[in-house]
Amino acid sequence: MEGLPVEKANALTEKICGICSNSHIWNSCRTAELGLGIEITPRALYIRVIMGELERLHSHFLYLAHGCEVLSHETFSMRVFYLREIVMELLAMIGGNRVQYGCSVLGGVRPRCDLDEAKLLRLKNDMNALEEGLNGFVERFLADSIVMSRISGIGVLPQKQAIELAVTGPTLRATGVARDLRTTMFEYDEFDFNVITQNDGDVKSNLIMRALESFESIKIIKQAIANIPEGKVVNRDWEMVDTDIIESYIEVPRGTLYHSYALESGRVRHCIIRTPSMANIGAMQYACIGDQITDAQLCIVQCDPCFTCTDRAIEIIRR
Amino acid sequence: MFENILTNPVIAVILTILVCFIISTFLPGIERKYVHARIQQRIGPIVIAPGIMAPLKFIFKENIEVSSPVPGLYKALPIICFIVVLCVLIALTPEAYKIPALASLVSIVGFLKVEEICYVLMGALSKSIMSVRMPFPDKIKGAVHNNSNLSFIEDISARRSLRMITYGSFPLYLALFAPVTAARSIFLGDIVAYQQTHGPFLFTIAGGIAAVVFFIGYMIILNEYPFSIIKAKSDVIEGPYMEYAAKYRAVVVITRGFFMFVLGAVFSVLFIGVPPTIFSWGILINIAVALIFVVMMGIFSAFAPVFTNRQLLPTILATTLLGILAIVIGLL
Repeated sequence: MEGLPVEKANALTEKICGICSNSHIWNSCRTAELGLGIEITPRALYIRVIMGELERLHSHFLYLAHGCEVLSHETFSMRVFYLREIVMELLAMIGGNRVQYGCSVLGGVRPRCDLDEAKLLRLKNDMNALEEGLNGFVERFLADSIVMSRISGIGVLPQKQAIELAVTGPTLRATGVARDLRTTMFEYDEFDFNVITQNDGDVKSNLIMRALESFESIKIIKQAIANIPEGKVVNRDWEMVDTDIIESYIEVPRGTLYHSYALESGRVRHCIIRTPSMANIGAMQYACIGDQITDAQLCIVQCDPCFTCTDRAIEIIRR
Repeated sequence: MFENILTNPVIAVILTILVCFIISTFLPGIERKYVHARIQQRIGPIVIAPGIMAPLKFIFKENIEVSSPVPGLYKALPIICFIVVLCVLIALTPEAYKIPALASLVSIVGFLKVEEICYVLMGALSKSIMSVRMPFPDKIKGAVHNNSNLSFIEDISARRSLRMITYGSFPLYLALFAPVTAARSIFLGDIVAYQQTHGPFLFTIAGGIAAVVFFIGYMIILNEYPFSIIKAKSDVIEGPYMEYAAKYRAVVVITRGFFMFVLGAVFSVLFIGVPPTIFSWGILINIAVALIFVVMMGIFSAFAPVFTNRQLLPTILATTLLGILAIVIGLL
């Protein structure tokens, strides 16, 4: 990242993670936009929100499917993966790829990611289908007493511990803390949605949390489809200037994503990126305590760690 | 001459075993392709892949030296399992009824127990490097797992296997003895003869209950989901099987399919009174029972997560009580 032209650096951030690639490029662009005072077109904001929520859906579905797979419930796992497939195809329709969409650019989104009438209609239909499918899955999942017995009280992360460890995102909200950065992000000002919380901090709470948040994401996408403004998708009218260190926090599927860098002659300096997994991964060892080894994998999955987000982490030792 | 060869009991048993073995190789594929894949709305593997192609592939793979304190015994265990299953099938054939010590429930139970003990030994003797837990102190700031002891995941499998031997498979053995209450004999020949005169034990109240218990025990002894805690698949690795590769893994795969068939044949003998022999159309009943069991097992396993002790104990307790009920009703 260091020394790269900001446009290239933005594109590179997308490679940090295969699951939340859109979140990285979105926040990286957002960081520069905040520093340079670039005004994003309203239509582009809506498309970014749609992409962000689609990514949240595919991340949450991946979590649900993986959770079921770790439970060795292949049937539930496959059913969620089928639902996720709808989302992946929609992401491919908008971004051109199933991962690494390259949607956000400085000032908006790439013109190829614009949504015409046909795409909006497909989005609308697929959201209805997804909602119906998810409803069916959640009802079946919650009614399964054996599954509930397997996940209730397992991998408990107490709220106090979660706050101390600076756990973020759905993993924090599953302990009862109603903290969601989307409520403070200007991109979400025009959208009506609820911040979902659960109280127990166990695997059950985390799985239900993701399922219920998925309904909120569908609700947001539906609002975006209905109210998407007309106009350009990218604002090219801006000038590059040097900036101090700029910081940007956004709510991504797994928690708070932090990007910060300064701009110097159009190049990135002093770049720091902190992924939500960096904060959440510490919760794993606490969630596992007191449970059987068979539940260990479940407890690890419960904290929703993304290993690609953490394998390039560096430890700063202050002497 | 040809007739003499066919009526030779040894040849008859060998032919029966051969037919049963060939059919058994299709059972894992049927379970995966036509049950699991159908339920999960996916294409699934081709039907011969899990039971035939997989072992063939393993046979031609290069072997690895196993990480085990007693590699010779560890490598012999899958073969012992196969031989044990083979012995159970031989004991079920009508030709074996002339040897009461072999064709009795006591020998069947003994063989099944040996098969179960093999899992304990597999788990205890497998020391895969991939399963080493916490080989170094957790030095990360704020770590809560300091001074952890070096241990192996397979050890846990061995302990679980021991637990399963002591109470896990108890319902199966109760179900095996339920027909004895009707036939008043532990010899398979007498049990078959009784049912050929009085009708299948399955169609009595005690038989119906015992059949349910047998089916749950069948899933438990096959380590099928949700009772696959021995295989420890949720613990990332496959417990006792971890170190088996190449031809040894092939034997493990083949034995599983064969065991599925043989347990179906046990049910046919004890609950329907039809022994497996290729000289009778009754073998079709054996095949049908084996298929029905595989399909039912596939359906149940597709809709259940793996059980931990919290679910396992009540399930086994309830099944044991059902088994006792079947025996009590049979005695009345």
